[in-house]
Amino acid sequence: MNETLVSCAALTKRYGSKAALQGVNLELGRGRIVGLLGPNGSGKTTLIKILCGLLQPTEGAVLVDGQPVGPYTKSAISYLPDRMYFADWMKATDLFDLFADFYGDFDRTRAMTMCASLGVTPSDRLKSMSKGTKEKVQLVLVMARKAQLYLLDEPIAGVDPAARDFILNTILTNYNEEGTVLISTHLISDIEKVLDEAVFLKEGQITLHDTVDNIREREGKSVDTLFREIFRAPNFEGGAF
Amino acid sequence: MFGKLLKYDFRSMWKQFAFIWPAALALALVNHFTINGLDGSSGAEETAAGISMLVYVAILMAMFIVALVFAIQRFFKGLLGDEGYLMHTLPVRPWQLIGAKLVCAVVTTFLSVVVALLSILIILPWNREMVGDLFRGLGYVFTHWNIQVTHGVIGILEFCLMMMVSFATGFLQLYLSMSIGHLFSKNRVAFSVIAFIAINAVVSTLSGTLLLPLSDVLSDIINSMNGVTSFHAAMWTIIAGELVLSAIFFAGTEFILRKKLNLE
Repeated sequence: MNETLVSCAALTKRYGSKAALQGVNLELGRGRIVGLLGPNGSGKTTLIKILCGLLQPTEGAVLVDGQPVGPYTKSAISYLPDRMYFADWMKATDLFDLFADFYGDFDRTRAMTMCASLGVTPSDRLKSMSKGTKEKVQLVLVMARKAQLYLLDEPIAGVDPAARDFILNTILTNYNEEGTVLISTHLISDIEKVLDEAVFLKEGQITLHDTVDNIREREGKSVDTLFREIFRAPNFEGGAF
Repeated sequence: MFGKLLKYDFRSMWKQFAFIWPAALALALVNHFTINGLDGSSGAEETAAGISMLVYVAILMAMFIVALVFAIQRFFKGLLGDEGYLMHTLPVRPWQLIGAKLVCAVVTTFLSVVVALLSILIILPWNREMVGDLFRGLGYVFTHWNIQVTHGVIGILEFCLMMMVSFATGFLQLYLSMSIGHLFSKNRVAFSVIAFIAINAVVSTLSGTLLLPLSDVLSDIINSMNGVTSFHAAMWTIIAGELVLSAIFFAGTEFILRKKLNLE
């Protein structure tokens, strides 16, 4: 087994003339929980989409478990997008069927158990579910897999603080411990305590990648405080007209 | 994996057509009785028969419109919309995603044609004599099987194949247009429509300039054959032409989904 799970080399993605990622080099090992941290528009979603094959990089190369992005890497990645991806006519159990068909690592029994603990009735039509319940179904689908790499794009962005703990708890109690979890967020204080590593992304470039312990030791402050310092918006000083 | 994709595409198809196909057949049955039960004595009866005929024709038209909209929606929403986040992260290749949508769309349209034909058969004023004639006729064909009958059967199969290949070309042209529209960051629907018109223009120009001389040669060859052979030759020429177009449209769509995918 490859010790390096994710490797990006000189990864660049341009939309027209605008660069969303510029020369990103990143290596991630196994069995870690990694925070992909940066303000909105820093390239977090672009990086995740390239890893799961929804976008092609303009330049550079990506390997997941030693393989270029394709059917194999897709079968090893469990991806939680920042939006709903359901067809309306389906029930949650239809989606369980679909996941069981396509992903050998999907554990249906665990999915049902998670539904029960999250208060989701899987035989209900998705159409009739609230937004929050649909998000839970999506989380169940993603976390009921024993994947090598979990890519979670802003899993706690749209929910209240109580639900954040609930979601984080679900992630922590269900992920495959030999796999790596990459969580993108700008809400660092909520997840700092669970992170092993942090990757800071600023304007499409990685400005920092280290273990959380090292960061705390070296900087003498929490990752959240450091993040606020690095990404603080320049104060509007007024100035002469 | 392709079979599994098909399974889910057919499932969503069945959700759409589980009502409209039986409804078309049931309305045909109603019309069978209203039309054939008429003796022209009562005006009210005629009005009722007229209305039920109108509803039947409307549902047949609706059926084909739904089939077309279904094919477009399954591609546009299923692969280029939010559902694309699920479909494009499944461990399958882009050609399998496109192929599954295509097979499902072609089969759906073909089945709609079959339902329409069946419904017409149902409306016919069947009586014991007609059924007897039909079976006697079929029996005669089977007991007196000859080369003409074989040609006839093959001809029907060729016609069905031609129909399916033409449907496939049409759907693939729609897929390619939507994929081209998807390359733009705004007004994707408008650009898809423009792309569709542009592809039409290109195809008709090319077939006008490049294929016209070729078609003269071909029609000379076909005309020089005897009647039955020329029919087969014409069918296979059309099928081959449509297949070439299909292959080009498919390759273009596959390239865009593989290399240029950019879900919103």
